[in-house]
This record gives sequence, structure tokens and C-alpha cells, in this order.
Amino acid sequence: MSAPLLSVEGLRVGFRAADGGMVEAVRGVDFAIAPGEAVGIVGESGSGKSLSMLAVMRLLGPPARATGGRVLFDGEDLLAADEARMRALRGRDIAMVFQDPQSSLNPALTIGRQITDVVRAHRQVSRSEARRIAAEALERVGIPAAATRLGAYPHEFSGGMRQRALIAMAVACRPRLLIADEPTTALDVTVQAQIVDLIAELRRDLGIAVIFISHNLQLVSEIVDRVVVMYGGKVVEDGPVADIELRARHPYTRLLRSCVPSLSGPVGPLVAIEGAPPRLGRMPPGCPFSPRCPQAVETCAAEMPALLREGRRSLACWRPQ
Amino acid sequence: MNRFGPALRAIDWTGWLGAAIVATILLAAIFAPLVAPYDPVALSIEDRLSAPDAAHWLGTDQAGRDVFSRIVFGARASLAVGIGAVLIGALLGVSAGLFAAYEGGLGEQIVMRIVDGIAAIPLLVWAIAIVGILGVGPLPLGPFLLPNEVKIVILVGCLFSPVFARVTYAVAKRVVGADYVKARYLQGASHWQIVTGDILPNCLSPVIVQATLLVAIGIVIEASISFVGLGVQPPQPSWGSMLSDARNAIYSGEWWLPVFPGLAISITVIGFNLLGDAVRELFDPRSEARTLVA
Amino acid sequence: MTGPILALRNLTKSFPQGGAFDRLLGRGSRFVALDDVSLDIQRGDVVGIVGESGSGKSTLASLAVGLAKPTSGEVLLDGEPLSRLMRNHAGPWRRRIQMVFQDSSSALNPRKTIGRCLTETLALRGVERGAREAEAIALLELVGLGPEMAPRLPHELSGGQRQRVGLARALAMKPDILIADEPVSSLDVSLQAQVINLLSRLTRELGLTLLFISHDLALVRTLCTRIIVMRKGQIVEQGPCLDVLEHPSHPYTRLLISAVPKGIAGRRTPASPDMPAREPARSANAG
Repeated sequence: MSAPLLSVEGLRVGFRAADGGMVEAVRGVDFAIAPGEAVGIVGESGSGKSLSMLAVMRLLGPPARATGGRVLFDGEDLLAADEARMRALRGRDIAMVFQDPQSSLNPALTIGRQITDVVRAHRQVSRSEARRIAAEALERVGIPAAATRLGAYPHEFSGGMRQRALIAMAVACRPRLLIADEPTTALDVTVQAQIVDLIAELRRDLGIAVIFISHNLQLVSEIVDRVVVMYGGKVVEDGPVADIELRARHPYTRLLRSCVPSLSGPVGPLVAIEGAPPRLGRMPPGCPFSPRCPQAVETCAAEMPALLREGRRSLACWRPQ
Repeated sequence: MNRFGPALRAIDWTGWLGAAIVATILLAAIFAPLVAPYDPVALSIEDRLSAPDAAHWLGTDQAGRDVFSRIVFGARASLAVGIGAVLIGALLGVSAGLFAAYEGGLGEQIVMRIVDGIAAIPLLVWAIAIVGILGVGPLPLGPFLLPNEVKIVILVGCLFSPVFARVTYAVAKRVVGADYVKARYLQGASHWQIVTGDILPNCLSPVIVQATLLVAIGIVIEASISFVGLGVQPPQPSWGSMLSDARNAIYSGEWWLPVFPGLAISITVIGFNLLGDAVRELFDPRSEARTLVA
Repeated sequence: MTGPILALRNLTKSFPQGGAFDRLLGRGSRFVALDDVSLDIQRGDVVGIVGESGSGKSTLASLAVGLAKPTSGEVLLDGEPLSRLMRNHAGPWRRRIQMVFQDSSSALNPRKTIGRCLTETLALRGVERGAREAEAIALLELVGLGPEMAPRLPHELSGGQRQRVGLARALAMKPDILIADEPVSSLDVSLQAQVINLLSRLTRELGLTLLFISHDLALVRTLCTRIIVMRKGQIVEQGPCLDVLEHPSHPYTRLLISAVPKGIAGRRTPASPDMPAREPARSANAG
């Protein structure tokens, strides 16, 4: 296997609590992504998936901050890099697309201006050359008559078009890594399908590595090579998408897959995961899923299982299935 | 109220300082006869214009009246106008804001445009103009005769009401659209029940914050009206009229005459402002103090 | 058997569009949210209404419960026009049709305890003061929550628990018809199943007529016997749920079905050498 593009090792993110102590939301996360690979990070709200990515981009603001671990991008530790270096990397080498296309665009500037600003921040090109690049990026994300749309304002675009424009902005400088944080959650289902297809297409055509964050396992499974499942601030399972979907070993992964109904098969009561995800600062000492796990034994509640690698898969569970 | 516990701890020293100032001045005004060493209106020609000393801590004025005692009694006029006007303004403004937000349509437009109209002219200009027109004498209102002080409280209260109306309207407009209000409507709850039971309680925090800050403005307005001679009438003391009387003293060297009433106004205004900021912190769920409590 | 318990007759709702200036000059157009929709709901029906934003499904819900007035057309509750019933705002008809809302954080008054929220509702139904507390506890139990929830405030509950309280509040009125507007779309997937199972069980046990509004076809398939597909304010297809989903006749229904994430079965590039790839189908229909 080639050297990873991004390697996250023992990443921890904490919040400063009202009483002055630290509450950990990301509690030692490990995963790596190879150049050109597409990885899905799946977890529910509070699993720490978005916080981990903000930590990678060094976009955490108070009261949250990275409290430990390393984030190696091409061998360089981003957590130790200075702000100037991060500004150079963000947008040029690593780009991010967020959940809400509405609030990610500046309503007062044209789409074209916002894309050319990003291009000119990272590349020494003339204004007209930047506009040409912007038009090309819009064309690539499937906005028809792109050159004529550069003068449009965000409110003139539909939600799906805005998300396309944001993706255009993200890929305009040909980054090596694109982080998409729930990019389709705010969109209608038919538009969601188009955006997912678009990301898969860009990845294939441009060779960009993609991290796709979602709460929906079925959705990411359509386009990624590998899935990382997070729960309670920890990685609980990591493996090739077919293994995760068909031969998951962690009880949480299995339940997560079966509690979402499909359009085929018999109709009946859904498989429910009882209880609720652990709340921040009230993590059980052992496996975070143990209070809800039907397989749990005493050890599960008492001691956190380590994330053990086995071939191309990793698993943190005392009672794998 | 244990849910304020962690937030109370997070209030910094400026908030406590504000609370302490406000509490001290309130107590001094309420127990003025016990606090003031002299009668604030008693003339004493032999003591006139004496500089601060052991007998008269803050000196005496041209008529030999004790400045400290006059400031203590003057606090009553200031706080009465500040607090009284805020209560009247809140009552009128909150009702108007709630009505506009809940009623919607034409009623909303009419109420809010009236509010805009009143708010378009600066408070102080309104206050002085209207008192000037009405004069300083008691105002007959049906069977009642309103003394000048009450008149001023009501007037300033009316002038405060647009501020409260806007604050309430802005929050209430959002609350009216909340699903829990729709749910109450679907249960057949009366409009009164919905407005007082569900909408009003969720609008109160910004109103209370606004109220604390407006008390300070009310005190300044009272001082200004009295300064131009339209407010509290002599010989009753008021911070504004004391300042006005002290105008000549600035040139003749009796510095204590303008300085101490001026300080009283400044300290009280700062006290209410600090308290207002602390109350804002306490109520605002987005403020840093509360972020991690939930 | 009598007529439909809830009927919509040529229901239309439109809103003025464009700036105030245009409207003043009579130049403004109108946005039609619901366009001449007629529908009969029989007692005991469990109907799923699916569509995307702008399909008019939420407008339909608010017209059906009387939260908004139709521009034209009529809602009939057991044959009686809602417009006439609504003259008596707090009439006995009120309790018969209740609603569960989408956003669990806005559905409950943040300053009222769960217990107060329920007892207040019971008071409006006319339950005597002394009996309210016991019935509130019983309602909490009905939706799978313990009595220890009663003194808590909404922010102390999880999203799933709040949504159960919202359901308990609707049931406190002893409704005949329950309208659930995207009741689980704000919840995490692991909690969605809990609420859907609860809704399914209660509908059966209490003999409720349910209108389940959702964008999630798979959830509708699990819960409903009948499906109505809406687009741009109109019903484009309706029928028995499984029939429509297996043999959709309208192209929009087919597009919705193709947009449901299908995991590795929906891949266009193989997940592993032994997995077949899916035919590219849906991008062509981009709209």
C-alpha cells in the first residue's frame, strides 16, 4: 500500500466546560486515507465525525480545541503547522464542503467573484484567467451555460445549484483531498442523489481523494471505497465498503444498517436500537455503545476495546459477530 | 432557580459591581430619611456654600442646604422616573408588540408603523417638547389632578414603549411561528391563554435586559428635564435641578456643587448598564456562560 | 359504513409573490402551493404523503387541521366543512384532529415541564383537575417514557424523547385523526426506527386514522397502507402503498424511487470484484 495522503492518529478534541474542566468529544480517532481514495465517515450526531474533520482543517474555534494526536497530511503534522501554512493548504490542497449551502455562500457577492477569489488566493493568475477557471469549474459540476452564470448571485440559484457552486469552488484549485460534511442533508432526495453522483464523478475524473461524512450508511456506500464507523467519539469499525455493508462485525454497524428500512423485502416492524446515544461528558468508561448493545457483557461496560487491525479491516469490539 | 446556578457563577465582577451600585442607590432612596443627615430642603444661611467637611460631607449649596442629603433625596425622583417610566413603557410596549406579532395583517402594520413614527424622533427632544407645551403645573385628567412628577413618569413611559414594542415584536414574531404555539391552537386554547401562557414567557428575557438599560436612560432624561426647569420643582431636590443650580458655581469655584450630582448620575447610569449587561449574559442561551450548561 | 372521515374538496392555496411594490400595482403573480387537490381519507386509513420541498405536502397538512385557510375549496371533517366548525374555535370537534410536528426542538415550549405540557392539554380536553396528573403519567407510559420525565424541561430530553412527548401531547386530546408532518426527519437514524415502530403500534392499538407526511419512501412503505405522491402542489399518483412502490406509473414516482440510497446495491462502480455495478439511471432525469 502506498503512503497515506492523510493519516489521523489518536486525534482528541475537547470542549472547555463551564466548570473549567475539559469534556472530550473526540476520544482518540485513528484512520488513514490513500491518495485518490474515497472514504465514508458514518456516525450519528454526537459521534464526533464533524468535529474530527474540523480539527483536521484546523477550523475548530473556542470552546473546542484539539487536545491530542497528530494529523499527518503528506507527512506534515497539520496540528503543529502555523496559521499561514494552513491558509495556504486550505482551498488549494484540502477543500471542504459543508452541510448548508445557504450559509456557506456570501449572499452579497456573485458566484463568479466567490470562485475567482479562491482561485486568485492560491494561484498567480490574471483576473480573466481566474474567470476562465471559475467557468470551467462550474461547467464541470454540471451547471449549464456556466460562463453566463458567473454574474449570478447565490439567491438566484436553487439549493442544489448552490451546493454545486460550492463544490465548484472547492475543486477549482484541484485539491488533493475533498472533505464533504453531510453535503446533501439539507437537500431534497432527488437532488441528493445528483450531488452524490457528482462527487463520485469528480473523484473519478480528477483523482481527488474524498472524505464523505454522513449519518446515512446506505448513501455513502454508493460511492466510497471504505467506510469508517464512529460512535461516541471513537472509531468502532473501519473496512472496505462491501465488508461493512455485508459482513459488518461490530453490533452497532450491523444495527445501523438494519434499522434503516429499504424499498425491498418484507414489511414489518423496524429493527430499533434501544436507548439514546451517550451525551457529551457522560461517556461510559467502556465501549460507548455498550449501554445499547444487545450483545454486551460485563467487560464491554468496564473497559474500552482497542481498535485492532486485521488485514484491511479494523474493529473495536469485545464481542464481534 | 437552580438552572441559573452555573450562569450566576459565570457573571464577572463588573456584573456584581453593577448590582451592588444599583442596590445601594435603591436602598438609599427608599430609606432616604434615615440615610440623609439633614433635611434636604431646610435652609441655613450661615452654612451656605461651605466646602465638604466633617459636618457636611459633600458641602452645602447657595441656600445652605446639605448636598449629600439633597443627593440622597434626589435619588427618589431619579429612580421614580427611571423605574416608573420603564414599568409603564414595558406594559404598553410589550402589549403592543405581542398584539402586532400575534394578530398579523393590518393590525400588525398599523401598530408597528405608529411605533416607528414615535421612535423616529429622539426621546429627549420629545420629552422636553411635550413637557414644555404642557407646562410644569398639575395636569387635570378627568377627576384626577396629575402632579408634574407623575406626568413626567407617564410621558417618559410612553416614549419608552416603542423600544419595548420593537424588542417584544421581534422575538414574539419568531415564537408565534413555533410549533408549540400551533399545537396549543390546535388544542383549542384561547388566544389569551396562548399569548400569556406560551408567547409572553418566551419573550421576557430580552425585555428584562432592555428594561435595565432603559432605567439608566430614564434617569438621564429626568435629569435633563429638571435641568431645563421643567421637571421636579424647587425646593424639592433632583439631580438635574441641582446641576442646573450649580451652573454659576463652575466659575466661582464651588466645585462640589456640580461635581457630586454629576457623579451621582454617572455612577447610577453605569451601575444600571453593568447590571443590564450581566442580565443579558444570564438570559441569553447563546452567551458563553451558558453554552455548556445544557 | 359512513363516508370518509376526512375529505379534501378541490383544495387550493396560493400566496402572493413578488415585492410589495409589484403587488400594489397589481403586477404580482401568485405562487400556488396546493393546486385543486381532492382526497378522501377513510376511517382507519394509514396514508403516506410523499414529495419534496415545494410539493405542497406540508401546506396540505396545515389546511387539513385548520392552521391555514384555503384560497378555495373545502376540508370536510366527517362531512362537515371545517370552515363552519372553526367558527367555534374550541368546539368538541377540535380534539378529533391533532398533529405531530417535524422539529422536535420547536415542538415543545422550552419553559414548560413535560408534565405541565400534558396536563394543560388534558385541561383543554375537559379532564378534571384531580385526574390530570395520573392521565399524564399514563400518556408518558403509552409512548414509552417513564414518570420521571414529568418534571423535566424539553432541553433536558433527547430529540427522540421530545418527539415521543409531542406524540403523547397529540394523543392526550384523544384524536380520531393524527397528522404527522415529517415526525422523524430531525432524528438520528437509530432513533427513527423507535418512533416509527411506536407510531405504527399506537395507530393499530388506538384505531387512529394517520396521515404520515414524509420524503422518505422506505419509511412510508414500512408504516402506511396507502401512498399519495405529490409534486408542485398536485397529486401525481396514489394507490395501495406496495403496489405503487413496486409498479410506479408516474415518472416522478420512479425518479423518487431511484433516488432512495441503496447502499452498495446502488453503486455504479463495483464495490469489490464480485459485486455487479448498477445501471446509470437517475442523472438523466435531473430537474
